[in-house]
Amino acid sequence: MAHDPPGNGVSPLVVIGLMWAVTYPVRWLGLRLGGTTLPPFWLAFLRFVPVSVFAALVAPEVLGSPEWPRRLLGSLVGAALMWRTRHLALGILGGFAAYWAARVAGL
Amino acid sequence: MVPLWPGMIPFAVAYAVTARGAGLGVWDTQLMSLTVFAGASQFAAAGLFASGASAVGIVLTTFLLNARHVLYGLSLAQTLPLNARQRVVAAQFLTDEAYGMSTVHGPLDPGGLTFAFLLGTELSLYSVWNASTLLGALAGQVLPDPEALGVGVIFPLAFLMLLVPLIASRTALLVAAMSGLVAWGLSRALPGGLVILIAGVGGALLGAWLTTRRGTA
Repeated sequence: MAHDPPGNGVSPLVVIGLMWAVTYPVRWLGLRLGGTTLPPFWLAFLRFVPVSVFAALVAPEVLGSPEWPRRLLGSLVGAALMWRTRHLALGILGGFAAYWAARVAGL
Repeated sequence: MVPLWPGMIPFAVAYAVTARGAGLGVWDTQLMSLTVFAGASQFAAAGLFASGASAVGIVLTTFLLNARHVLYGLSLAQTLPLNARQRVVAAQFLTDEAYGMSTVHGPLDPGGLTFAFLLGTELSLYSVWNASTLLGALAGQVLPDPEALGVGVIFPLAFLMLLVPLIASRTALLVAAMSGLVAWGLSRALPGGLVILIAGVGGALLGAWLTTRRGTA
């Protein structure tokens, strides 16, 4: 975890303001342009963004972690629970429990 | 609306605890929920703050993640005509969940899908999200060392839970595997924000190319 001020010296308030500035107009634009159809390629691109970004957020945090065996086990258990039950909280808690079981067992 | 709360509350609490662990104050953590109001991008930003990513990387990742919201507006506006003032208000609170609830349950409502139905859905999700953020932000203050609790693993777990239901086709599985592997490889050499951008854009391009080339989703 970071001990320096987050955001490489830029105030978090500025970062949050900019995050808002790139989020709100996109939502408004869609409502404003209602009826326009995007080309199929870009429609597909926008649909795949969550898939690629979520995977890119997960992999380095699991496989690149110094405690990767525990995190990998937790992730596999969590993903299996989520796959079967589609219950987000159960997946997170189950994965967290498996992670802790591995940690206590000295994995 | 209630069925979505059990998923939102732990996610908002986990976001807030991660944000606090990354060094953001209670007010910063809350302000992000009040303004940006986009769960996945807020959680991603919290993780990037924690990894020391640059401000530019955080903002661009937010843009990339939230660009899909343009689809929700496009889709809603087909069936729900809004005037200029209604658009300005509805846009602030438009999320995946609000879009899903409105398009699925709006037409089943006796009054049909109206601006009032959309705004009611949006505001109920907004209240729950912000109340849960506050809860998590305050809880994060009293929790002991996050590392001792193993809270760091919550971040990848939460995103994995969001990812799993999206793996509905072989193409999606391939995109996820490629993006994850590329991100893992790049993360040894490049800063966090840039890794997410390269792997995220690259993976989505791959998915779009495979889909439109074969004509299947």
